[in-house]
Amino acid sequence: MECKKEKKKDGIAKGMPLILSITLIFCILGAFVFYVAGRISREMSQAAIDSLSENLDLIRGTIEAILDKEAEFQKLIANEIEMMEHPEQFIESYHGNNTMVKLSLVPEGESEGISNLGEPFYPEKLDFSAGKTVQGLPVSKSYINHLGAWAYTMKCPVNRKNQQAATLYVEYIYESFDAALPNRFYNSMASLYIMDAESEKLVLKPKGMGERDAGHVDLGDFYRANRIMEQDVRNEITQSVKAGKNVMFYHDVQRKKSLIYMWSVNDGTIYLIGYVPVEAIQREGSAVNQNIFIVVAVMLIAFLICCALYFFTERQRIRARREREKERELHNRQLAEALQAAQVASKSKTMFLSNMSHDIRTPMNAILGFTTLLAKDADHPEKVREYTRKITASGQHLLSLINDVLDVSKIESGKVVLSIGEFTLSNMVASVDAIIRPAAKAKSQNFEVSVTGIKNERLVGDETRINQILINLLSNAVKYTQEGGTIWFRMIGLEQRSSQYEHIRVEVEDNGYGMTPEYLETIFDAFTRAENSTTNKVQGTGLGMAITKNIVELMGGTIHVTSEVEKGSLFAVELELRIPEEQVDKNFWKKHSVSRILVVDDEEDICKNVQILMEDAGVSVDTALSGEEGVRLVSGAKEEGRLYDVILLDWKMPGMNGIETAGRIREVAGEHVPILFLTAYDWEDLKEEAAQVGIDGFLAKPFFVTALKEKILEIHADTKCREENRECAKLNSLEGCRFLVAEDNEINAEILIQLLELEGAGCEIAGDGQAALERFKDAAPGEFDAILMDVQMPKMNGYEATKAIRRLEREDALTVPIIAMTANAFAEDVREALDAGMNAHIAKPVDMGLLKKTITQYMQRKE
Amino acid sequence: MRRMNQLGAVMLAVVLALSAVSCGQKNHSKENLVQDEEKAVRAVLLFAPMEKSDPDNKNIARTAFDITVGMAEEQLGVTVEYRTYTAENYQEKSYDEVSLDRARNSMDDFYLLNPDTIQMLGDEGKLADLSGLACAGNLRDVVKTANTINGKLVAIPQEVVVYGLFVNQDMFDEYHLELPNTPEEFLECCRVFKENGIETPVGANRWWLENFVLAQAYADLYNGDTTEQEIAALNSGEAKYSDYMREGFEFLKELIDKGYIDAEKAYVSEAIEGEGPDFLAQKTPIVMAYWGAANADTAYGKVDFQMKVIGFPSKRGQMPVVPMTGYGVSAEAEHMEDTMNVLEVILSDEALKVYTETNKVISPSKNVQVDCIDALKPLNDRVNENVYVLGSNASMKVEQWGNTCNIVRELLNGATVEECLAEFDRLQEESLKE
Repeated sequence: MECKKEKKKDGIAKGMPLILSITLIFCILGAFVFYVAGRISREMSQAAIDSLSENLDLIRGTIEAILDKEAEFQKLIANEIEMMEHPEQFIESYHGNNTMVKLSLVPEGESEGISNLGEPFYPEKLDFSAGKTVQGLPVSKSYINHLGAWAYTMKCPVNRKNQQAATLYVEYIYESFDAALPNRFYNSMASLYIMDAESEKLVLKPKGMGERDAGHVDLGDFYRANRIMEQDVRNEITQSVKAGKNVMFYHDVQRKKSLIYMWSVNDGTIYLIGYVPVEAIQREGSAVNQNIFIVVAVMLIAFLICCALYFFTERQRIRARREREKERELHNRQLAEALQAAQVASKSKTMFLSNMSHDIRTPMNAILGFTTLLAKDADHPEKVREYTRKITASGQHLLSLINDVLDVSKIESGKVVLSIGEFTLSNMVASVDAIIRPAAKAKSQNFEVSVTGIKNERLVGDETRINQILINLLSNAVKYTQEGGTIWFRMIGLEQRSSQYEHIRVEVEDNGYGMTPEYLETIFDAFTRAENSTTNKVQGTGLGMAITKNIVELMGGTIHVTSEVEKGSLFAVELELRIPEEQVDKNFWKKHSVSRILVVDDEEDICKNVQILMEDAGVSVDTALSGEEGVRLVSGAKEEGRLYDVILLDWKMPGMNGIETAGRIREVAGEHVPILFLTAYDWEDLKEEAAQVGIDGFLAKPFFVTALKEKILEIHADTKCREENRECAKLNSLEGCRFLVAEDNEINAEILIQLLELEGAGCEIAGDGQAALERFKDAAPGEFDAILMDVQMPKMNGYEATKAIRRLEREDALTVPIIAMTANAFAEDVREALDAGMNAHIAKPVDMGLLKKTITQYMQRKE
Repeated sequence: MRRMNQLGAVMLAVVLALSAVSCGQKNHSKENLVQDEEKAVRAVLLFAPMEKSDPDNKNIARTAFDITVGMAEEQLGVTVEYRTYTAENYQEKSYDEVSLDRARNSMDDFYLLNPDTIQMLGDEGKLADLSGLACAGNLRDVVKTANTINGKLVAIPQEVVVYGLFVNQDMFDEYHLELPNTPEEFLECCRVFKENGIETPVGANRWWLENFVLAQAYADLYNGDTTEQEIAALNSGEAKYSDYMREGFEFLKELIDKGYIDAEKAYVSEAIEGEGPDFLAQKTPIVMAYWGAANADTAYGKVDFQMKVIGFPSKRGQMPVVPMTGYGVSAEAEHMEDTMNVLEVILSDEALKVYTETNKVISPSKNVQVDCIDALKPLNDRVNENVYVLGSNASMKVEQWGNTCNIVRELLNGATVEECLAEFDRLQEESLKE
C-alpha cells in the first residue's frame, strides 16, 4: 500500500514539470492571442471610423453638390429675371417640379411679393436668421411647406442697373435629395436622417434608412429613441452642431455597440445624423476574428487531444509494463514456490524412502531373522511358536505399511471410491474399541470413550473408511502418548443442519507429546512424520494423517487439529452422515415388551444420553444417579405395579456400587427383570461376581440402542441361540471340501494348500487362468466345491477365466462359487471381480477365518 | 508508439502543407466580379403619424402595425417606406393639416387619416375607392358606413378607434363616488374632487374634448330608431347641428367655468403629453383617450392604480364615441397596384388578427374577435350592446370630428357657447350651398 502511494507520488512529481510546461505554453498562447485580438480590434475600430467617415463624406459631397447646383441654377434664373421686362409673368407661369416647388419674387422695399402658386408671398414668414448660405445665397430655416413636405428656401438678389431691384425666393424640398442618396446604408443596418441644424428637426429619412417605429421627429426624439440620455454627451453634440463640426462617438443602440454620427453638410446648415452598428461596418473583421478564434480553438482542442492521447498511451505503456513486471514477479514466485515444493517433495521423498527403508527393513529383518532362528530351533516347539508369532506380527506390520502406501497413492490420484452402506455406530465404536483398547492397555493408557447427543445410530456411509479414520486418529493418539497417559474418544451429536443428516463431531484427544506449530502446518501432508528424540522410536509411514484428511474431505467433512508440545493434541472431525429412510424393526420394543427402562449411573451425561437415544423408541427412561436412588425407584415401581422392563446399572458408583445395587434390586424386583451392567471396563474379571448377584449381561459403554437390542435378544433366546451357534460353527467348517485354486505364485499356492489342509480341505492348483478353465472343463460336476481365483496371472487373468467358466455349457458353470483371492484389494477391484461373475472377493494375505466364512456362505456342500 | 509518432508527424506535415498552399492562393479570375444590379426596389410610400419616442416604452400600436407590414413585404416583395410628421407644439402645423397637404399633392401612396381628413379628401375625390379589395368584404357595417363617401369606400382602419373616459377608480373609491353616467353625475363628481383639493379633475388636451360634445349631441340620434331621418334632416337643413351641439357645449363651458378643466393648458396641449403625466401621477382622476391607450406603455398601459375606461356622460348613460380612422390611398398614387396589394395584406383577416391580438383592440373585421383587458370591459360592454355614437359620419354633409374639434378649441380660447354654435350654423349653411 505504502509502495503504491510512493509510486503515485513519484508519478505526480514526474508529471508536474510537464503540466507546468503545458500551462506555461497555454498562458503564452493566450497572451499572444489576446494581444493579436486587441490589435486587430483597434485596427478594425479605426478602419470602421475611417470607413464611416468616408461614406459620410461621400453623402455630404453629394448633398453639397445638389445644394450648389440649386444655388447656381437660382442665380441663373435671377440673371434671367434681371433681363425680363415682366418677371411677374415668368413667376406666375412657373410650374413647380419635384425640386423647386415654389418660386416667389418680392420687389425691393416691399413686404409682399408674388409666387407661382398664385398666392401672395410674405418673406417675413421665412427665417434666415441663422445666416447660413450656399454659394453666397442665404438659406432659410426648414419648414413644412404647402405640400406638407419639409422645405427650405434660398433667396437670391435680382439686380437691375447694378441695384437690387427684387429678391428671388426659391423653395426646395428635402425629399428631392432622396433620389441622389443610396438606397441602403451598411446593408440597411445603419440609420441616416437629414437634420435641419437650426430647428433640429429631422427633415428627411431617405428610403431604406433608419428604424420604423421611433426617433423620426427631431434631435430630442433621436436621443430618446437611441437612449442617448447623458447630458454631457448632448451638450457636447449641441456645441459641435452650433460650431458646424462633425461628431462621431461610440454608444450602445438597442444593446449593440454602434457608432453615432452627426456629419456637417454645407458648414453645418444641415446635418447627416444616425448610427451604424459596429458589427455592420466590421462584418469582415468580425468574420476574421471569429475565424482566428475558431482556428485557435481547434488548435487548442487538437493540442489537448494530443496531450490526452499522449497521456493515455503513456499510461497504457506504464500499465503494460507494470503488468509485465507483476507477471514476471508472479512467475518468479511460482518458480520459487515450485522449486521449494520440489525441494520439499524431494526431501520428503528422500525422507520417506529413508523411512520406508527403515520401516520395511525392520520387520523384514525380524521375519528373516526369526526364520533363520526357526530353521535352527525347529525342534523346539515352544521357540517355534514364539518365532512364528513374531514373524506374523512383523508380517502384519509390513502389510499395513504397504496398505497405507497404496492408499495414499490411490487417494492422491483421485481413484478412491466410497463404498456407501448402512452401519450402526455401536458396532463401529465396539470394533474400534476392540482394536484400540488393548493397544492402550498395553501402554497402560486410559482410554475413555463417550458418545453423547447422537439421535440416530443407524447411519449411511462408508463404514470401512470411517473406521479407518477413527483407527488412524486413535492409533496415532496411542502411539504419540506416553505410557500412563489418557486418550479420550468422543462422539458428539451436533445440531442437525438437515433432518436427513446426522451431524457428528468425533474428537480424539490425548495428553501426549503434542506437536510443534511448524509440524501442525504440514501434518496433513503426505510423507511427513513428527520426529524428535521422543518419537523416533515410533514406527509409521507418515501417511496416516494424509489419508485421514483426504478421506474426511472425500466424505464432505472437515478435520481440525490443535496441539501443544508436551500437553497433547486434539483432533476434531466433523461429518454429516445420512440417516437411513427406514429404521429397521420399529416394533422391536413392543414385540419384546420393553416400555420402561431404568438407568442407574452416577454420570448424568450418560443417563441423558440413554434418554436421548431411546427417545424415538417409545420407551420411557427413568434415571437414578446413585445405587440407592435406583433401588428406591425400583421399589416405587413395584408398589405401583409397573416394574421396569430392563435395568441398566453402572458398575463403579460412589456409595453403593453396581454389584451391591444389583443385589438389592434383584431382591426387590425378583428374578424376571433383566439387569445389565453398563461398563467401560473389561468385564471378564467381573463375570463371576456378576452372575452371583443375578446380572443378565454386560453392555459396553458408550450406550448404543442396537447393543441393548442385541443384548435383549440374547437374553430372550439364550439357549436356542447357543444351539444355533453350535450348528453355525459346524457349518463354518471346511472339512472335506475340495477347491480348485488358480494361483501362479508357487509360494502362495503352497501356503494355501497348507492352510486348507489344516482345515481338512483339499485343493488342486492350476498355474494360470487358462489351466484353471481347462481343469474345470474336465472336472466332473460337483468335483470342486468352489474355485479360488487369483486375478493377476499369466496367459489368462482371473477375470477372463471367471467369465470363460461362467460361459461354459455345464450345469454348474453358473453356480460354482468363484472367490477372488488377490492382492488387488481396493473397492473397485472388488466391483470388477463381481462384475466378472465372481461371488466374493478376499484380499491377500489370506485370513483363514474370513475365507472360511465366505466360502461357507457361497459354497454348496457336497452331498 | 513509434508508429503513432510517425502518423502524427505525417498528419502535421500535411496540415502545414495545406495551410501553405491555402495562404498562397491568388484570384486569377478575369471575370467581371460585379453582380448584376438587383432589381429596382419596389417601394410603397406611407404617410403616418409618429408618436414621440419613449426610451422606456415600446410603441405597441406601431409594433402591431409593423408586424402586418412585415407580412405584406414578405408576401409581395415590396418595401413600405414610412414618411411621418409629428407637431412639436400647437403652433406648428398639425398632422391633419400636413396629411391633407400631402394627400392633395399626391406626395405619397397611402395615408393613415383621421375622420375629418378622410371626409375632406373623400369629398375632394383625392382618395381611391377601396371597395374592390377582397378584405373590404370582411368589414363591419359600421366601419363601411362611416368611411363611405359618395358611394366610395375611401378608408379602411386596422382597428375600430373607440374613445372613452379613463378614470382612476382608486380616487373615485377614496371619495366614495360612483362612476358617472350622466352629465349631472359627472359634474357632481368633479365638484367633490375639486372640493377635496383636486385642482383639475379633468385632464384635457386640444384634440379630444370634442368627445364630450359628440356624446351628448348624438346619443339619441345614433341610439334611437330615426337615425337616417335625423341625418337627412340635418343634411337638408331642416334640423340644425347647433341644436344638437348646444347641451354638449354648455356642459363643456360649465366644466371650464367651474375650473374642472384647465382651458388654457388644454388649448396648447398635445394628446396625452399634456394631461398624461398628471393622470399617471394620480393628480387628475379623469382623462379622455382612445381604446388603444389602455394597452400602450407609451400611454396608459402601465398605471399604479386601478384604472377603468368608461363612456362619456350622456342622458343615455355612458356613451363611447367611435370616430373612424383608416388607411386611404391617394387617387393618384404613383405605385397604385403595389399599394392596393399591400392594403389587401395588412387588412386581411389574418393580419388583422395578429394586429388585434398584439394591440388588444376592436377589429374592424367581423371575423376577428379578441378578449379585452379588464380596464376596458365597461367600454367594451357598451360597444357590444351597440350603444355608442359615431365621431365621424361621412353621410353627414358637415364633417363632425375635425370641425367639432376646431370649434371646441375656440371655446377653450374664450369663445362663448353661442359663438361656437353660430360656427356650426355657418358650416351647415356652407354645406347646403354645395
